[in-house]
Amino acid sequence: MQTVNISPKTEIEISVEAENISPDKFAGKTEKEIQSIEVWMGNKRVSLGDLFSVRVEGSGAPADVKIVMEGDFSRVKRIGEGMTAGLIIIKGNADMHLGAKMNGGKITVAGNVDSWAGREMKGGEIIIEGNAGYYLGSGYRGETCGMRGGKITVMGSALDYVGEHMCGGEITVKGDAGILPGLSNNGGKIMIEGNTSRPGSEMTKGTIIINGIVEEMVPVFKSEGTEAVDGVTYRKYTGDVVLGGKGVMYVK
Amino acid sequence: MELLIKNGAVYDPINGIEGDKKDISIKDGKIVDKVSSKASVIDAGGRLVMPGGVDAHSHIAGAKVNMGRVMRPEDTRAGIKPRTKITRPYTGYTVPNVYAMGYRYAQMGYTTVFEAAQAIMKARHTHEELEEIPIIDKGALTLFGSNWPTMDFVREKNLDKLAAYVAWGLLASRGFGIKCVNPGGGEMWGFGKNVTGLDDVVPNFEVTPREIILSLMKVNEMLGLPHSLHLHCNNLGKPGNYRTTLASMELANQVKPSKDRQVMHVTHITFNAMGGTNWGDMESKADEIANFLNNSENVTTDMGQLIFGSATTMTADGPAQYANAKLTRAKWGNGDVELEDASGVVPFFYARQSSVFSIMWAIGLELALLTKDPYKVLLTTDHPNGGPFVNYPEVIALLMSNKKRQEEIKTLHEAVHKRTKIPGIERELDFSDIVIMTRAGSSKILGLLDTKGHLGAGADADVAIYDLKPDQIDPSVEHAKIKSAFASAAYTIKGGEIVVKDGQITATPMGRTFWVNASVPDEHTEVMMKDIRLKFKNYYSINLANYMVQDAYITHPNVVRAGLIPVEVS
Repeated sequence: MQTVNISPKTEIEISVEAENISPDKFAGKTEKEIQSIEVWMGNKRVSLGDLFSVRVEGSGAPADVKIVMEGDFSRVKRIGEGMTAGLIIIKGNADMHLGAKMNGGKITVAGNVDSWAGREMKGGEIIIEGNAGYYLGSGYRGETCGMRGGKITVMGSALDYVGEHMCGGEITVKGDAGILPGLSNNGGKIMIEGNTSRPGSEMTKGTIIINGIVEEMVPVFKSEGTEAVDGVTYRKYTGDVVLGGKGVMYVK
Repeated sequence: MELLIKNGAVYDPINGIEGDKKDISIKDGKIVDKVSSKASVIDAGGRLVMPGGVDAHSHIAGAKVNMGRVMRPEDTRAGIKPRTKITRPYTGYTVPNVYAMGYRYAQMGYTTVFEAAQAIMKARHTHEELEEIPIIDKGALTLFGSNWPTMDFVREKNLDKLAAYVAWGLLASRGFGIKCVNPGGGEMWGFGKNVTGLDDVVPNFEVTPREIILSLMKVNEMLGLPHSLHLHCNNLGKPGNYRTTLASMELANQVKPSKDRQVMHVTHITFNAMGGTNWGDMESKADEIANFLNNSENVTTDMGQLIFGSATTMTADGPAQYANAKLTRAKWGNGDVELEDASGVVPFFYARQSSVFSIMWAIGLELALLTKDPYKVLLTTDHPNGGPFVNYPEVIALLMSNKKRQEEIKTLHEAVHKRTKIPGIERELDFSDIVIMTRAGSSKILGLLDTKGHLGAGADADVAIYDLKPDQIDPSVEHAKIKSAFASAAYTIKGGEIVVKDGQITATPMGRTFWVNASVPDEHTEVMMKDIRLKFKNYYSINLANYMVQDAYITHPNVVRAGLIPVEVS
């Protein structure tokens, strides 16, 4: 078991590209080695030790690494990018692209995260206790496949385009979601407990379940009557019929 | 500046050299017979030495290449390499930025590349990009196949006017040769339609693809252009289209070449040699195309080899691209070039599990292996339609090793066994064949053999050295070594300057842009220009005065002269 504690030395004002903060990169490394890992801050190369105080206990493989991040990371991007195993606990906020392309392991965030959390992730789990920004679990610009596997849970609300271009995996938003969740979906499952608007347009596959109020429906779905899911009765729709899509949407 | 390459295992088929230990002398950017003792020396140490690579068909610059970049920000994320003291940043895989185009070609040992399609109206854009592609020499073929003036002059059966228009169009676009894409189809696409064969009549113009192809071929030989007509056949990407391809190739028998080369180059056969009637029974007919080539001296081809993975298809064949986008539900970019052509861009992912893509993979290889004379089939991927050009080493390895092909076939759809002949083809190409398909042949087909594609005295000092010792390697077994060596040249020498060493860029001189200035009698031009002026007055959105690419856009020109000579029509 290897525990790595990270906290900012001072307030970080210029954004940091921190794809190197991940259990895969820290596994088996000493305090010194981790401190010397390079990251970009704006257009300058700095080492983790310059920005953060780093404490390490024990040593282990990625699956045995626990990274505990205490403080405000709302200007630190790409935490846990591509991670395959292990655990990251963020006791604060995190910036964009949290857990992008992650393959395994788990990230929990006590605060809020900015846009693109879980972008193109393939496996593992992200739990966000606060709110999420735009494009949760989506594909980046131009990608035809967003999230492909794994699970994202947001206890608060999420902004627009939840799970855009999603191809697999599962997203649950306990609060509200902004407009157009599940845009261009091609697989996977999105569950929204709160309210949203214009869900599922251009979807060809996948499932969207909405427990709250749908403010506006895009007129591209076919009504299929009602159906019970886990004991709850929903109105069922399929579409997007314009694209001959076979997506399924359940609305309470 | 003098340079001596010692102890190379030299392959230079044009000069009859096949792996002989030989020194290559270079002075002032040219190959010479000998150099003084002051020359700097590269010891090749028995490694493979050949002329710099020449690519006769690739999409490296211009409006549709850039449309691909705009449409595919996700592609830009692949292959990113930050700038260094010598190189500017690289981005992209299927649609790289301009710098990566030049660097990656040079790193593979290529020194000359031709953009295969530019509309005259968009030529300024092409040249703006070509001017930024470092190291390599380049040029661009100009589209004439669906231009209104072309079809008018074909209908009038006035070859003098057509020749004058081609000469003027090459000047206006600073182009190198005649490209003809889906003749007639580009115009029909303006009405949401396409032509389905050589004898469909294009409405409003009353001409057929057959007449357009024949007339452009005759005009090409009248003008004595260095390259022949460069044809993208009708019905591209449709099952059963091999019949159209064969019928088009037959037309070459009606025209005599003005030079020692073909009269028709039929491009990217991978997309044009499909049998069957639909996607369910589609099969490879590359053997029929190869059979034709084995019995003809007038036609050459290139593979357009399919590479599994990501590709961006881009062509002036607008209707074919609409069909592709509908079929695959992919992003679709459509371009209309007023009186000149159409274009389409569609990203593709070639999956191994697909029967259609597995068969198409086989078509390119079958063509190269069943055609006896390597001078008749160039190695291309029709970058980035079949796949990006960085995969040429993969194609070389496939052609040189039956073992590798059999390993690949195991990973493909079973249709490759039933509907192609590739599993039973044992032929393995040797280094001479590869040099011909990537250098000597492409130079001959382009009409640049005086300075490109060989290592005789007087040739451009474009040389590639690869980390392979031909007498110590069995390409059939060690195909992985072949692939990695061709991917990263030990040395690339461009115009006598070392531009790549051990796969790394060491210098970035600017290459030249080849274009053809063809003379025709002034009176022909005057008659032709009357029609052109009318077209601009009535239809074009721009003025004639703003149409022609100025010399300022070609800062390193290499002008090839051509001109009117009598045509022999049999």
